[in-house]
Amino acid sequence: MAKEPTDVLMGGYLSTEAAHEDYEAVLNCGAEIMGAVVVSKDLEGKLSVEQTDHMVKEGAEGLAGIGFVVGLFAPPLLAATAIGAVIGAGTGKVLHKKTGSKIEEEAGKTIPIGGAGLIVAYKHDHADTIEPAVTRAIKKVVGEAEGRHVEALKGALADAQAKMAGQGG
Amino acid sequence: MTEPDRTSLPIRREAFQGVTNRTLDGSRPDWNLIGHPVPPEGAPNVLLVLIDDAGFGNPSTFGGPIQTPNYTRMAEQGLKYNRFHVTALCSPTRAALLTGRNNHAVGFGSVGEFAGGFPGYSATLPRDCAPLPRILRDNGYSTSAFGKWHLTPDGQQGTAGPFDRWPNGWGFDYFYGFLAGDSGQWDPCLIENQKVIGTPEGFYDEEVPYYFPDAMADKTIEWIHGVRAQDSDKPFFAYFSTGCSHAPHHVAASWADRYKGKFDRGWDKLREETFARQKELGVVPADAELTPRDAAFPAWDDVPDKLKAFYSRQMEVYAGFSENADHNVGRVIDAIEKLGELDDTVIIWIWGDNGASMEGTVTGSFNEMTMMNGIPLTDEMQLQLAERFGGMDEWGAQIMDPHYGAAWAWAGNTPFKWGKQVGSHLGGTRNPMAIRWPARITEAGGLRSQFSHVIDVAPTILDLAGIPQPETVDGIEQEPMHGASIAPTFADANAPEFRTQQYFETVGNRGMYKDGWWLAMKTERIPWVITPDALKPYAPGVWDPDAGPAELYYLPDDFTQAHDLAAEHPEKVQELKDLFWEEAEKYKVLPLLATLSTFFGILPPIADKTTFEFRGDVQNVLSGMIPRIYNHSYSISADLVVPDGGAEGVIVAESDHLGGFTLYVMDGKLTHTYSMMGVFVFKQVAEEDLPTGEITVRMEFAADEAKPATGGEVTLFVDDRPVGKGRMDHTVPIRFSAYAGMDIGRDNGGVVDLAYEERKPFAFTGTVKKVVFDIKPHLSDQDELDLHAESHRGQAAHGLSG
Repeated sequence: MAKEPTDVLMGGYLSTEAAHEDYEAVLNCGAEIMGAVVVSKDLEGKLSVEQTDHMVKEGAEGLAGIGFVVGLFAPPLLAATAIGAVIGAGTGKVLHKKTGSKIEEEAGKTIPIGGAGLIVAYKHDHADTIEPAVTRAIKKVVGEAEGRHVEALKGALADAQAKMAGQGG
Repeated sequence: MTEPDRTSLPIRREAFQGVTNRTLDGSRPDWNLIGHPVPPEGAPNVLLVLIDDAGFGNPSTFGGPIQTPNYTRMAEQGLKYNRFHVTALCSPTRAALLTGRNNHAVGFGSVGEFAGGFPGYSATLPRDCAPLPRILRDNGYSTSAFGKWHLTPDGQQGTAGPFDRWPNGWGFDYFYGFLAGDSGQWDPCLIENQKVIGTPEGFYDEEVPYYFPDAMADKTIEWIHGVRAQDSDKPFFAYFSTGCSHAPHHVAASWADRYKGKFDRGWDKLREETFARQKELGVVPADAELTPRDAAFPAWDDVPDKLKAFYSRQMEVYAGFSENADHNVGRVIDAIEKLGELDDTVIIWIWGDNGASMEGTVTGSFNEMTMMNGIPLTDEMQLQLAERFGGMDEWGAQIMDPHYGAAWAWAGNTPFKWGKQVGSHLGGTRNPMAIRWPARITEAGGLRSQFSHVIDVAPTILDLAGIPQPETVDGIEQEPMHGASIAPTFADANAPEFRTQQYFETVGNRGMYKDGWWLAMKTERIPWVITPDALKPYAPGVWDPDAGPAELYYLPDDFTQAHDLAAEHPEKVQELKDLFWEEAEKYKVLPLLATLSTFFGILPPIADKTTFEFRGDVQNVLSGMIPRIYNHSYSISADLVVPDGGAEGVIVAESDHLGGFTLYVMDGKLTHTYSMMGVFVFKQVAEEDLPTGEITVRMEFAADEAKPATGGEVTLFVDDRPVGKGRMDHTVPIRFSAYAGMDIGRDNGGVVDLAYEERKPFAFTGTVKKVVFDIKPHLSDQDELDLHAESHRGQAAHGLSG
């Protein structure tokens, strides 16, 4: 019997407010989620992490060593002044997720000042409800994988990470 | 005393009429020796008011949504002019206003930031075109200017001058304001006469924060009182040139909140409502037609619902900001009235120098400098960045430098097409004017519709004062003013048209008016787009100006330029094209597009200076004067004396959190923070404490490549020992700020790193002996040349928003 695919949605934001708005929207959209986490850094560099209980559980049980790319927005610098340059892909850094405290440690290094990231994991069946709830992400990608529980989650995260990195600026 | 010869300035002192003997015995003094020039009998005071970046359809006096009771008061007691014209750009209008001559002819084809190598674009006033304040001063007026200046080349705004290009040099006895094209209203970096005085102390007062528009009015009233305290008769000329309503749109929420919800139906509806009121007021003829929306502006109905509040608040703030300007002009008028001199004062009040500004691009921006630095941001991004700095409730506060979206500007220019920069159309060139002087204006509340232009203002003032245009000034023969007095229209609504012909040119957009006909030749470039693709059609050898689109309007029948008659009258089109070229040659408009010449490879020589040393307590280095570290590898080093027990504070800082850098010490650690226009903020902190004694600290930025906005690696050093490092993925390519300055030993005004916001200006507690910038040339000469070109293109782009 085929396993139900697992999705991981990643969103990048320029403000904490926008990330939290989407986080709340996901929690209240009526769909079942495996977990969600929002990480943000204020203008003085102070980091905040908020996550659902089950995200901690998922992390503790099987996500050790999995790389999260937090999709950090980077606008292309343009042309508007005939500059013609393009800011490279805002790939961010790898956020190694093991536990809540580990998130803070790693996110502290990777989330830019003033920026925020959202990660939501869910069974693919709920995609039609969850994805439209995320309306404010500057960059949004969805990774997908099949397999047993932890493997599927790992695969989906890796897929999302690759897409976020590949999408660039 | 006989009437002096006023045609040669300065007025020569009369010959000694007394007697001087070997002793006082028989000697007779001549007391005229200690006199000074006196204006002609009955010469009135003059208050000349110029509002910035505003449109025909903004003030309620002309049917707009912004309440302007003081403007209406002046118009109801005087005259409204509904066919008055400006030049479509800041400095050019100001140059024409203060010289009575066409802007290109006095070197201001473009803005002060862009001092180019062609006569019409030098940003340098020729000595054979003495300006109005100089003429009035030499004829015995007290003269003063308050607010925005924007007539001094960008690189000449420091202690070294030359000061003949500053307001005092133009003939103003007193100046209080800013030299640049715009300024923060909460945190300006100010000039008083010939000294950069920086951000006022009141900025640090949290209870009663400093607000420049209030201070402008206070200073004007104080100056008028001072003149009267000394001399009860001497007429004054006060030029009150508001920073409002140019970006940044800074105003207290209480002013913006007066308009809460008033713009929720969007710009399309606002235009319709404004147009209806304009017809009711009669400032627009009953048969006029509202021009359609250009595709460059989105329809309000197409704006996503979730973003409508974001856009509405932009306009609420702009409206509150503008109403506040009216309020403060009203305070000055009230002060003159209290002196009993209102009826002895000619008040000329022009609402806008170039039509409302579309430079906020379609989205509007939390930081006006994002557009100028080529950072394209969607409206959702702009909203999130605004949220980062406190949300839309803070849109008018010091924490942001906001500019509204282009469609609001277009609505502010109702009923016309386009706006600022578009010299071919009335949206950029026709602005309201009101004149009050009961001595000569008897039809209070009248409307005048003769075609007039900003070059007519100076000749009008001289006419009313009874002062002739000088033939020579300082021995230099003068070019006659190009304008003519408007005064004949004061008493006669049907006075004949005195201006039957006028050219217009701004950034290649051309208009030629003659006997009611207006030829409009707009380049196809959207004003806020300066991409290589957008400019390609205008390159030398490619662009044929005569081959571009040409529209023809007959304004006596078509107030708004709604009906293009070019196809029906090709002979008139050709006649006006030919006339434009004649006028362009006569008034130094050529070469066309000189404003953008740097985009086409015409560059000033590369500066060979790469090391800049600042000793002592140098503060408030204006933003156009800082070492140009952009797009290069560079280092900033500082020789410090750190006392026992350590030191903290800012070593050097440029601008603020919306774009700038700071090298400072906090908690014992050397720290470098760099704000890429508030979009990205990069911070590197030393891993060890700063030692005491005489030390040298340094930050080095190693650019990845010789490209605009290049990323690179930062290393912090103490006494040549690396103590910290980090990466900056993107850097500012063009300019950190339009107005905020650089300081040694502190961070004046808005701070770069909000971590020390509560301790601003966070002065260094040790001693900064000197700071040295060393801008490392890139290895390749071609790289250096390319960056030089990019730098000047950026400068031109920045200038366009002046």
